[in-house]
Amino acid sequence: MSSDIKVDKEMDLKGLACPMPIVKVSKGIKEVEVGQVLKAITTDPGALTDFPAWAKTSGNEIVETVTADKETHFFIKRLV
Amino acid sequence: MALKPYKAEELFDWVTREDCDFLLLDVRNNEEFGRFKVEGPHLKKMINVPYMEFIEHEEQSVAQVPHGEKIRIVCAKEGSAKYVGEILANHGWEDVAYLEAGIKSWGNLLAPKLIRAKDGYELYQFIRPGKASCSYALLYKGEMALFDPTRNLNFYESFAQQHGCKIAKSFETHLQADYISGSQQLSATAGATIFGNENDFQGAVFNYTPVKDGDVFTFSRPGGPEVMAIHMPGHTPGSTSYLIDNSYLISGDAVFILSIGRPDLGGKAVEWSKMLFKTVSTKIADLDDAVIVLPGHYMDWSELNQEKVFAASIGDIKKRNADIYGIKDEDDFIRFIRENMRKQPEVYAEIRKVNAGLLQVDEDEEEIMDLGKNECAASMAAGPHV
Repeated sequence: MSSDIKVDKEMDLKGLACPMPIVKVSKGIKEVEVGQVLKAITTDPGALTDFPAWAKTSGNEIVETVTADKETHFFIKRLV
Repeated sequence: MALKPYKAEELFDWVTREDCDFLLLDVRNNEEFGRFKVEGPHLKKMINVPYMEFIEHEEQSVAQVPHGEKIRIVCAKEGSAKYVGEILANHGWEDVAYLEAGIKSWGNLLAPKLIRAKDGYELYQFIRPGKASCSYALLYKGEMALFDPTRNLNFYESFAQQHGCKIAKSFETHLQADYISGSQQLSATAGATIFGNENDFQGAVFNYTPVKDGDVFTFSRPGGPEVMAIHMPGHTPGSTSYLIDNSYLISGDAVFILSIGRPDLGGKAVEWSKMLFKTVSTKIADLDDAVIVLPGHYMDWSELNQEKVFAASIGDIKKRNADIYGIKDEDDFIRFIRENMRKQPEVYAEIRKVNAGLLQVDEDEEEIMDLGKNECAASMAAGPHV
């Protein structure tokens, strides 16, 4: 589960169920600068469609998604 | 007023009543909403405003919800519906409730309807609105036989218990492709005997008792209703209907109220269409017009009869599907099937494997595979065929 992307902040959202991963990532993205990348680690199966939907709503970009086993790692670039 | 929970059972009760008056607010993302949603004959108002929009743009999202409405919220699990419910309550909505356990509790819900309680036996239909499908139970003196049970075993077991019954038999009308059967597990946990036709189940890796055309089943104690197997190939080569007490035909996907089971799911559309034509022109043609069909699926809520049960007589069904039963020529029948063919969901191939015991998946995966409506009818009724 590795990626070459430079990560500026990492959030461990394992074990959290909706809406908490989105509530937290919505706050977390504001703690990095525009252009920087936030890595969010989730185990909620709903995150697979909820994160892209949230990125669209919030105007940010998921640059990479890595899924292995029950974990999904989202690399989110702050755009706004 | 405080935010309150409601259950899938209540939701079904509300949406099947004429006085259904609330706004259903689904807060799942657009993709999930587009794939599968709550339905009901009297559900008039439904909107989709994803919960992530409430998180990002609270004011604009709240503005999309009409004021003064009674709000019933649905989400994937429960948490997001509660979250949005609190926002609405804070903005002055007075009657707001969230679905307990989320959309999957709706997807798995079974609503029991008594069809008949006479001559010492009881016959129930369990409507599964999430799948537009029906399973059945026949009860007689402490014994219960199930027909096409879903994987919601807790439900059947507590139903049996409430009625002082033991689940003794589980009849499969065919190898299902559209939902995961509960029979295998029932056999393991309740010790029920599974029955199915060899043409469908010969590759299955669990124990089952083969059923042949004309086989008759009875209950342990004398005087109960007889269950006769009638082989009706077409939808699948092993499709079998069960005639109860010479009066009720549990038809699986062979006969529907507003269609017939599509014969093209197995990749042999012409061959299976021929089988189906033979079934229509012999087995179904031979049935008494008064026999009541209890189908495995419904296409439309208009099929509910006055008792809010999905049931219709053979005579009525032949009239309502004159376009199908009026075909006298095999080639015309094959043409009709070809003209009505639609793509089948990709997950069907996997579900068949699970139902034959050839593929093991964990509960989360089962849940995902099992959610979504069926695609089993040969024609989709735009309204009742007259």
